[in-house]
Amino acid sequence: MLTITNLDLSYPGYESLATVSWQVNQGDQIALLGRSGTGKSTLLAAIIESAPAIARQTDRIAYLSQQPALLPWATAIDNVLLGFKLRGEVSDSIHTERALDLLAQVELDGFAGRKASLLSGGQKARVALARVLIEESDLVLLDEPFSGLDRSTRIQMAALCQKLLSGKTVILVTHDPRDAQDWLGTAMVLTTNTIKGPYTLNEFGSDRALIQALDGDL
Amino acid sequence: MNRLVQSTIPVILLIGLWWVIVATFDIPHFILPSPDRVVWVLVERFPLIASHALTTALEIICGLILGAALGFGVACLIGDSKKLTQLTMPALVVSQALPVFAIAPILMLWLGYGFASKLAMTTLIVFFPVTASTLAGFRAMPKSWDLTFQTLRPKRAQLFWSVRLPLAIPYALSGVRVAASVAPIGAIVGEWVGSSSGLGYLMLHANGRGQTDLMFAALLVLCVEALIIWSLVNRLANRFDQNSHTA
Repeated sequence: MLTITNLDLSYPGYESLATVSWQVNQGDQIALLGRSGTGKSTLLAAIIESAPAIARQTDRIAYLSQQPALLPWATAIDNVLLGFKLRGEVSDSIHTERALDLLAQVELDGFAGRKASLLSGGQKARVALARVLIEESDLVLLDEPFSGLDRSTRIQMAALCQKLLSGKTVILVTHDPRDAQDWLGTAMVLTTNTIKGPYTLNEFGSDRALIQALDGDL
Repeated sequence: MNRLVQSTIPVILLIGLWWVIVATFDIPHFILPSPDRVVWVLVERFPLIASHALTTALEIICGLILGAALGFGVACLIGDSKKLTQLTMPALVVSQALPVFAIAPILMLWLGYGFASKLAMTTLIVFFPVTASTLAGFRAMPKSWDLTFQTLRPKRAQLFWSVRLPLAIPYALSGVRVAASVAPIGAIVGEWVGSSSGLGYLMLHANGRGQTDLMFAALLVLCVEALIIWSLVNRLANRFDQNSHTA
């Protein structure tokens, strides 16, 4: 699905960061852990912008970040259908029905007509997740999508992701191993020098054990 | 009502202080007329002052509309392209850095002493704040939003009309608010440099004849006029702001 060969994450004029080589296979669902500032988000941006060091097998990529990028003046359903509008495609009744169905799946029944500016943080994150789902992308990139949400909402979001993104290739960037442990099996760790892994998250019995085990890296 | 009273109190205090200074130091009316004298002139010469006020108001409003439209239009044209912004920004900054006083004689030469030169000067002074604010709006989109929209594989025009432009509108409106407060400068400077009507002209005319009270009356009307125009623009901008709704 994705082959990264010697991708330098450093910014000119700043402290040097890791040079990454990494193979992601179709159907892999991986957490990318690492301290803040190690270049995790830069790596995702490089994948989206198709940097020369990256060979992608698909153009159909979905991206969900901490800021859900919802148009505040548009309704929840219009935000879900935004991709069709931006591509100049007519979103027909099938799309609308699918969007309503997805909103129901992310537990936002009855919120389709509500303006995004009137939704809570957790609701916005779920609308953005519905938009990711309607795009039916092959590769889903999640950049700390649960940051800024309370713990119970994070658990709810992780459960929804686990259920709805099943079968897709997923990379979840996070600095909090608990977000990964709730949901994913495998993790890679990005340090300022290199990318390490895979680690099997199931091996760790508790958050504490996980953090201790990765202490050298996290 | 409470707010109105609060904002009126400093004005009343200022007028009171003015009156006390004139009375205490026995200042001649051709240096500093008393407030009651200014009010009397305002009433007595109202038709004259009103006709000049109308000219200035027209210059300010038309300049504001034209300058805002041009500023917004230019920002839209270059806002989508970093290269175009880099190319045009120096010219835009120069258009603002040059004092309007310095350009006024040239505009008089080219456009004459009538309405057009005042309109040009007001337009020029309004143009930059609107352009700069709108451009800031185009640049304000967070990187993560940009990445999100990239993954939706948008058509450039659709992205502009559906996302980038609406996101820039609150910024543009901030520019219009600033512009409304500086627009009278353009009109008055234009009238000072050369004209046959307008409050700036009336003030110069009165000054030349030692009619300081008339000068003050014109100044007072200009203050009120600028305040009314600014608050109208502000209200309009607030209404648009509510409709566009910021992130």
